Amino acid sequence: MHTLTALPTGTEIPCLPGETVLAAMVRSGFLIRFGCRRGGCGVCTVRLLDGSMRYERPVTETALDERASGVWLACRAVPVSDVTVQLRPDDRLRLVSPLLRNAARAAYLSRT
Amino acid sequence: MGVMRLGYVHAKVTDLAEAKRHYGYTLGLKPMGEEPGRAFFKGWDEWDHHSLVLEEGGVGLTKMGYKVARPEDLDVYEKRAANFGCITQRMSRGENPEVSDGVRILLPSEHVLELYHDMTLVGTEVGSVNPEVFPRHLLGVGAPHIDHLLVTTDDVKLMDRFFKEVLDFYAVERVCTSLEDDADYIGTWMSTGMRPHDIALIDGPQGKLHHFAFGLKDWSEVLRAGQLFSMDDVSVDIGPTQHGITRGETIYFFDPSGNRNEVFAGGYEAFPDRPTVTWTVDQLGKGIFYIDRELNERFTTVLT
Repeated sequence: MHTLTALPTGTEIPCLPGETVLAAMVRSGFLIRFGCRRGGCGVCTVRLLDGSMRYERPVTETALDERASGVWLACRAVPVSDVTVQLRPDDRLRLVSPLLRNAARAAYLSRT
Repeated sequence: MGVMRLGYVHAKVTDLAEAKRHYGYTLGLKPMGEEPGRAFFKGWDEWDHHSLVLEEGGVGLTKMGYKVARPEDLDVYEKRAANFGCITQRMSRGENPEVSDGVRILLPSEHVLELYHDMTLVGTEVGSVNPEVFPRHLLGVGAPHIDHLLVTTDDVKLMDRFFKEVLDFYAVERVCTSLEDDADYIGTWMSTGMRPHDIALIDGPQGKLHHFAFGLKDWSEVLRAGQLFSMDDVSVDIGPTQHGITRGETIYFFDPSGNRNEVFAGGYEAFPDRPTVTWTVDQLGKGIFYIDRELNERFTTVLT
């Protein structure tokens, strides 16, 4: 289990092993802007500021290249350590389900 | 008769094995052969060799193919496209596997459109003699045929004029900035036969794909497709719902590479003398998604 910290709010979201950034957000009741969820459209980018992530499923060549400048697709990027990501300036982390957030927190606390 | 229909979509996919599973197993198209890095598919009710070409590497649209009725139609359209200012190129038989000679046109929207007059005839899955009403061996959705595609361009009005003047399409519906004669077009839905659209174009970047669609019989088949998408973990964009424009029933979803697909049913029969329907831009949400009446945030931003 890793912790995903999403800036600018600094919200901490637990990530299960193998879980993508977007999937972790959704499971914890949060959303950012996303598109195809399949690594193709390039809408759900975040900037990796700290930690390591990897792609375990196919993405476009463009997305592979953009890793060099710290840009990752949230729908495909899997944290392999605690990570800190910065959302796009025109995006924000939206809490769409407090129920899911509380459930995910409870599950996290029971594990640790 | 001119241009008869959309014959094939040639799309790029990041992973051919995943794409083959999506189009073959979930959508239930029939695999029609492969060559290195490419796979061919057709719907069960299509008689030509293929209607979908998948090519590994990247995402988006490589090109679209429209079938014309007669070889001599090619000369007419080639001349008209050149006069319109497009770069055209003759293609030879077999340049596209199983496809006749034809004309390739670089559209003002920077998409590639190919016209051809013949493709290897393989027949539908129920044959042409005393046919059953559907084949029993279908997988998944079992999509019978490809239907249309929607692409983006920075000059919808120009493309509306291109399809009308060069390829004899007619505008069935448009989204306009006003009801005045000098209004700009935000989108146009154009037909070459009796479908409510054989191609649609909306305002956006040049050369991009919004979606390509497979035709289903009715609303209950659209729902059943949605059920299969849940079983197979297909990323669904929106639906089942209905479009105001075309009145078609729909689900938008994504293939495993992120190209948007649609299953589309219903819609009215169109004719060239049907008055073009105009939607004002303030009603765009209702036009696209008649039930929700607002665009979701992906409709205008997610393209490949």
